[in-house]
Amino acid sequence: MRGRVMVDEDNDVVMTEQPRERGRERRKGRGLRLGGRGESRQQALLNDEEEEEEEEGGNDRNVLQLFTPLRSVEGWIVLVSGVHEEAQEDDILTLFGAHGHINNLHLNLDRRTGFLKGYALIEYENFVEAQAAISGINGTKLFFRTISVDWAFSTDPFKGRRSSSLAKPRHKAIS
Amino acid sequence: MLNKPEHGPSPLKSKTLDSYSGFDSLPSFLRNTAEAQGEEEKQKKAMAAVEEDNGEFYLRYYVGHRGKFGHEFLEFEFRPDGKLRYANNSNYKNDTMIRKEVFLTPAVLKECRRIISESEIMKEDDNNWPEPDRVGRQELEIVMGNEHISFTTSKIGSLVDVHSSQDPEGLRIFYYLVQDLKCFVFSLISLHFKIKPI
Repeated sequence: MRGRVMVDEDNDVVMTEQPRERGRERRKGRGLRLGGRGESRQQALLNDEEEEEEEEGGNDRNVLQLFTPLRSVEGWIVLVSGVHEEAQEDDILTLFGAHGHINNLHLNLDRRTGFLKGYALIEYENFVEAQAAISGINGTKLFFRTISVDWAFSTDPFKGRRSSSLAKPRHKAIS
Repeated sequence: MLNKPEHGPSPLKSKTLDSYSGFDSLPSFLRNTAEAQGEEEKQKKAMAAVEEDNGEFYLRYYVGHRGKFGHEFLEFEFRPDGKLRYANNSNYKNDTMIRKEVFLTPAVLKECRRIISESEIMKEDDNNWPEPDRVGRQELEIVMGNEHISFTTSKIGSLVDVHSSQDPEGLRIFYYLVQDLKCFVFSLISLHFKIKPI
């Protein structure tokens, strides 16, 4: 949903309601000009999501998206982001190995520069170890960069995040 | 009596001095404009950041061709609700389609967005990129915030193809982004689904 941004009495940033438009401000590419299958399918997806959103009422602006972590085939996968590009595998293994035995680690490289891309995927044997790593290391620093640690997979879809970012519209649409 | 500054007390300004301390000593009509402008800038930036973060996100990549072994393709899709769909099809040696689907957490989508925004692919255009041909085609469709791109081009064999095209800079960004996305998706899919051999 896109509308005008206004600031009301309590200095809150609010969006005024506007009739929904399916288009976006900037659209580029051969696929859109030639009306490829991609466009209609993706629009259908987003349309479905927008309809679902209608039913939710009264979402606070900063509602936490809660989800249930999902176990992978042989363990629990945790995503680390914000990794310094010059970190080494050993650094990650020592830091995260403290919370439990690591079954697997993917520390992918940036294909262009050869440095680390900035994320790591770690597989722990059990839930408790993974949860301990998340609680213990999320928000701490590695080589002076703050890293975020969280689960990678969940059991359910999450509702459109857009609904959590907008306050209730204060003004009726002028049609 | 202490000499009070014109527009209210400023912690930085000495009560006895009447020197120019920038903002506070502007006449009120100018001050309102400057303040409003500053606020507007801050608001715009915050809005952009919020929209970046909370705007819609959708990504689909396809690469494939038709040939002796049927329609061989690789396709993956990051959906707004967090679902990652992966498909790999080939009839080579009578093989069948491989389909995997899993729900990702917001953290993973956020990382995917970061990879895309750092690549600056959203600033490119595929006007001058080679058209899909017999050898194959690639499609990349991304919705991020209020931008929607849908690029279609032929397969890229190597950097040689990139350098000899009409838009080497843009195509290079595409080339490396696709590789980084594949790394990301293959890691996610294999970690979630693949059993390690003994």
